[in-house]
This record gives sequence, C-alpha cells and structure tokens, in this order.
Amino acid sequence: MTIIHVENIRKSFGKNKAVDDVSFDVEKGRIFGLLGPNGAGKTTTIRMINNILGPDEGSITINGQIASPLTQKMIGYMPEERGLYKKMKVEEQLLYLTQLKGMKTKAAKEAIHYWLDRFDASDWTKKEVGELSKGMSQKIQFIATIAHDPDIYIFDEPFSGLDPINSDMLKDIIIELKNNGKTILFSTHRMEQVEQMCDDICLFNKGKAVLQGKLREVKASFGKNTINLEFDGDGSFLDKLEGVRLNNRSTNFAEIRVLNGQNMQDILKLAMEHAEIHKFERIEPSLNEIFISTVGEDNLKAQRLEEAQ
Amino acid sequence: MDFSKILLVLKREYFTRAKSKSFILSTILTPLVLIGFGAFMVWIMTSETETDKSVGVYDQTGVLVENLIALDSVRYSNVSDLPIDTVKAMVLREDLDAYLLLEEKHIETNENAELIYGGSGGLAFSSSVRGDIRDVIQEERLSRANVSDEVKELFARRPGLDSRKLTAEGEAEDDKAGFMSGVGFVLGLLIFIGLFGYGAVLMRSVIEEKTNRIVEVITSSLKPIELLIGKVAGVCLLGFTQFTVWAVMYIGISMAAVPIAGVLMQDQISEMADTQDIEQVAAEAGFDPASLEVLSIDPMIFVYFFLFFVLGFFMYAALFAAVGSAVDSEQDTQQFMPILMVPLMGAYILNTRIMVDPDSTLAVVASMFPLTSPINMITRIATTDVPVWQIGASLALLVASFFGVMWVSAKIYRVGILMYGKKASFGDFAKWIRQS
Repeated sequence: MTIIHVENIRKSFGKNKAVDDVSFDVEKGRIFGLLGPNGAGKTTTIRMINNILGPDEGSITINGQIASPLTQKMIGYMPEERGLYKKMKVEEQLLYLTQLKGMKTKAAKEAIHYWLDRFDASDWTKKEVGELSKGMSQKIQFIATIAHDPDIYIFDEPFSGLDPINSDMLKDIIIELKNNGKTILFSTHRMEQVEQMCDDICLFNKGKAVLQGKLREVKASFGKNTINLEFDGDGSFLDKLEGVRLNNRSTNFAEIRVLNGQNMQDILKLAMEHAEIHKFERIEPSLNEIFISTVGEDNLKAQRLEEAQ
Repeated sequence: MDFSKILLVLKREYFTRAKSKSFILSTILTPLVLIGFGAFMVWIMTSETETDKSVGVYDQTGVLVENLIALDSVRYSNVSDLPIDTVKAMVLREDLDAYLLLEEKHIETNENAELIYGGSGGLAFSSSVRGDIRDVIQEERLSRANVSDEVKELFARRPGLDSRKLTAEGEAEDDKAGFMSGVGFVLGLLIFIGLFGYGAVLMRSVIEEKTNRIVEVITSSLKPIELLIGKVAGVCLLGFTQFTVWAVMYIGISMAAVPIAGVLMQDQISEMADTQDIEQVAAEAGFDPASLEVLSIDPMIFVYFFLFFVLGFFMYAALFAAVGSAVDSEQDTQQFMPILMVPLMGAYILNTRIMVDPDSTLAVVASMFPLTSPINMITRIATTDVPVWQIGASLALLVASFFGVMWVSAKIYRVGILMYGKKASFGDFAKWIRQS
C-alpha cells in the first residue's frame, strides 16, 4: 500500500530548479532511501513532504490526503540540521514539541518518559539542553522525533554527525520501527548505509529522480558485471585494461566494473599473467557503482560503446 | 489557523522568558534607572551652568556703566578710561572675556550695542548681557524722557497669565496642562520604549530559533504564520506583565509618597503660615499639589494606551520578526535597522514638539500616520481634547497597516527562517515576498 505518493513535483528558488518533475511512491512498512549528492534536491523534497514548503507544481499525498497541517501529525521529522532550545529543560521541551504534533499532555508525558527510560536518560528531565553533551542531546532529538508515535518517520541525513554508539542505536530504532509496521524514509549521500538498511531507493541527481525501485531489483538489473579481485604482486596490469572502470582500488584489491560486455575470462588471464590471484568473484555492482554509472559521464560513454556493438 | 498551536507557542514564549533572570532583573531595575535618569535631568536643568565671565564696559556715554556695575558688579568693570587698543589686548590676553562698546547712539536710536568677545562666547552669556543692556538703556531712556515715577513703575511691571480650562459643566477647573503634557510625553515614551525593547526581544527570539536550528522541527508541526503570531502575542503579553508590575509599583510608591510628602509639607507650611498664605508657600517651594493626584488621570487614557500599544506592537513586532528571520546573527541586523529606527526615533523626536503644541497640523498628521501614531497619538490624547474621529481614523489606519505589514512580514519570515549562511539584502526581501 502506498503511504507517500509524490507526483510530478517541481520547486524552484529563483532560477535554480531545486526539484524538477519528481515522482515516487513509498510503500507502507518499508524503509525508503533517498540518495544523491549534496544539492541534488533531497532536502527540498523532504521539506515538501513535511509541508514545510509547498511545491510549485505537482502534488504530494500522505495516506491519501494532500500534504497539510493534518498530515504533519502523521510524520516524525528529524532535519539534517538538528537543533533544540538550549535554555529549555529536557522534559518541558519534549512536551512542547510533542504537543505541537497534536498529542494530549498526559499521553505526551507517558510517551516521553517511556523513551527517556529506554535511552537511560530519565535523570536528565530537569536539565537544560545546553548542559547536555552532544551525544545526549542527539538522543533527546530522537525522542522529539518519535515520541508522538506517528506512522511515518523521515530522517534527513540521520547518520551525519552521530557518534558510533548513537549511530548504532538509531539503526536499531529504525529496524524496530519497521518491524512495528512503520514506514521510514531517509536521505543520505553515503551508499553503504542504504545497502544495509533500505528496501527501496530513489536516486536523485540535479533535481531529478534518475533511478528508483526495489534495491534488489535495481541491483539485479545491472547484472553480475562486476569483478571483485584480490591479488598479490604488481597491480600495474590493471591500467592496461580497457572498457572497464576501477572502483575501490588499492595495492591488493580492485573492484572492476566491466562496461562493454567484454569477456571476463580475458581479464582473469591477464591478471594471472601478472600477479598471484587470491580471489576472483563475479558480483552485482555496489550501489556506489550504480550511482556513478547512472549519473556520471562514463555512463554516456558506455552507452555509446554498447550502441556501437 | 490552529489556535491551540498558537496558544502553545504563546505559552512557551511567555513562560520561558518570564521565568528568566534577565526579565526579572529588568523589571525591577528599569524603574530605578528611569528615576535616576529623571533625577539627573532635573539636576542638569536646575544646576548653575553660567560661569562667571568678566566684561569690560567701554562706555562713551558715561551714564550706563554705573548702572551695569550696579546690576552685576562681578561681571562688569569700567574700562572707559583705557585706550580701546589696551582693552582689546586685555580680551586677547584673556584678562577680560569680552568688552562692551556703548555709545550715545545706542540710547538715542535703535542701533544695537556691540559685545566683542575673545575665546568662547556661548548663547546663555550673550543673551544674559543682552538682558542687562536692555534694562539699563530703557531706564536711561525713561529718565531722559523725564517721565514720572508712576510711568517707570508701569514699565517695571511684567504682566502675567494664569490659565484655566473650561469644562462641560461650565466650571473652570484648575489647569493641569503642564502636568498632562508631562503625562502625555511619558506615555508616549513608554510606548516608544515598549515597541523598541520588546520588538528587539522578539527579534532575538526569532534569531535564536534560527541559529539553534530548531525552527525546521517546529515548522514541520505548524505553519510559520502560526509560529509568528504565537511569538508576537507571547512577547506582547510579556510587555503587559512588565507594564503592570511597573504600574503597581508606581501606584504603590505614590500612595506611600502622598502622605509622606503631606507630612513634610505640613511642617514647612506651619512654620510659615503666620506670615504668608498656604498657596504661596506651596508655590514658592516649587510644589504643585495637583502633581500628587496621580489617580486623577482620566482612566480612558489608559484604555487608549493599551489599544495603541497593542496595535503598534503587533505592527512593529512583525517588522522586527521579518528582520530577525532574514539574518543569521544579531550583528547582521545592522543594515535593516534603519527601517525600524527611523520611524520610531522620528516619532519620539516629534513628541517633544507635540507635547507642547498638540493641535498643530504636524501633530495631527503624526498622530494619524500608522508608523508614528502609536507614540504620538497617546501624547495628544493626554495633552489635549482629540476629536473622536481622529482617534477612530488613527486606529483604523493602524489596524489596516498592521494587516498589511503582517502579510508582507509573514512572507519574508516564511522564507527567511529556512535560509542559512547567506546575507540577505533588500532585493532578497522582494524576491521572497514574490516567491511565497
């Protein structure tokens, strides 16, 4: 079931087309990743879903309703630039933020105390946020995002600036929320997080959604055209290869994307002539590789090569 | 518009500020500072600013110099016997501050006498010499005209003027014009301080939410206009709290002060009552009993004060909030402050004229123009009988421009609060208004 439906939205700031005719659907109970480099339009799209900005054109529906103050209550949102009132006490502040999301005082207090307990933060209720350490205030920020128990959770670059402990904790929370049937949408420019967590992805570049679908299907569609090579010895033979792109190259490891369907056995032969091979594996491309080949210039070059054949 | 959310914002804005130390301190200290400032002003006004200056009188008539020395023997000395060059040299050496050249023609014709000074002159000095010269020349003219002592007496007298106000009951009551124009000025000053002070509080609060980066979390829960209205109302209520505390303090102090002053007066009066009547004693002590009757101010004035403060505050607050939303820090507000400073300072400066001349065209215009009317109209209302239509028109204009300003400011605010790292210009304002 579609819970967030984005249809042909556009948003410009002056001459800059921040979001240019983007459509995608987020399915209920899944983790949806918005990927793309900085400035690709992810945050603007997320702000429109949160009804902070309105689209110039197109429509966004949440649970079948046009984005509005009403749909805002269904969403818990943690922006990329995180912030709290420094001079306010933890409990007061959480109460204020959850009440703004439409919760009644009593229910809000219960929810806040439940989460404070879970994060071992019950002792902080009377402290001002300014007195807390960075890690502690990050926990308070999570609680502010999730305490009103919405159906949809939106995190903009959630892992940036998190310490490893909080980063793991947030991953656990996201998985737990998913298991409880909640829907999660998050944006990131770090591909490995998406590989670990996302069910579905939408790839942004220059304001456009250039690739989307279920993560597995997207990867499968690129075929097993990548080689994981581990070797010992002189790696300079790799430079002689043509029609390939080298990712993650180091002294004894290379990820080789085969672009024009050339025979992988030839690559293996060449490698064996120059170095001792420990591992030669055909795999699906990494998301990073998919990203580069989708938005990079090499993509166009490879397309022309394929057409020529 | 969701009023429960506006109320939540209002409550947060009000209580976090009302509980803060700086608010409590400023509530207590501001009246003390004002009293201190008032006392300082009184001290300046009454203190002797005139320094003793020596004036050599070079008198060719031979009759005026003695009268001048009789008037002020410290200031004037006779240098008529010295050569004029020596007198000039004395002025240049600063043995004398100035010399006065008096000739026959100054008595006989209307030609002005001359005061020649070295170093510094000063307006107060020359006008005081002018007064002395007038007196002695007039006296000499009178005595040459050979008039009787009675006529001299007539010239010596200065006619005075007592003013009384005619009320609807047809009875002339004691004139309070001086007192009421003082009240009017103070009320205008309070609105000026209120608009400016609380406007700045609101602006800082908007900047704080922006720099804390909480504003994006907040706007994912409510509309920017709801946030704006809640904040403005919260700070407005804060202003009321402070004004109420001050009013209570003032009434308390003056209620305590009247009996105390009464007792002090009683002592003085009973000492002198044998020889002079009481009114004269009071007048000589520079004390007007009417000034103690603080509660005799027409309560309607306070209703108008409330109205003009609230409407004026909402209008200016919207502007302050728009400025706050466009910047990343308080320092960056400099370039936009003239929009707010010029009309507010202008109204304050106009007020010094309006309190003495409340029915002039300038006063009427300033009390209608919405950017100055909150300050200038309250001063007029207290000082004179303002026609009801003028008050009505002033309020209507204020309400209309409040909506206009709010509409524009809300647009700037909506865009501004999500803009970071870029210094906004007036051009950006125009773009943001068109954009949203």
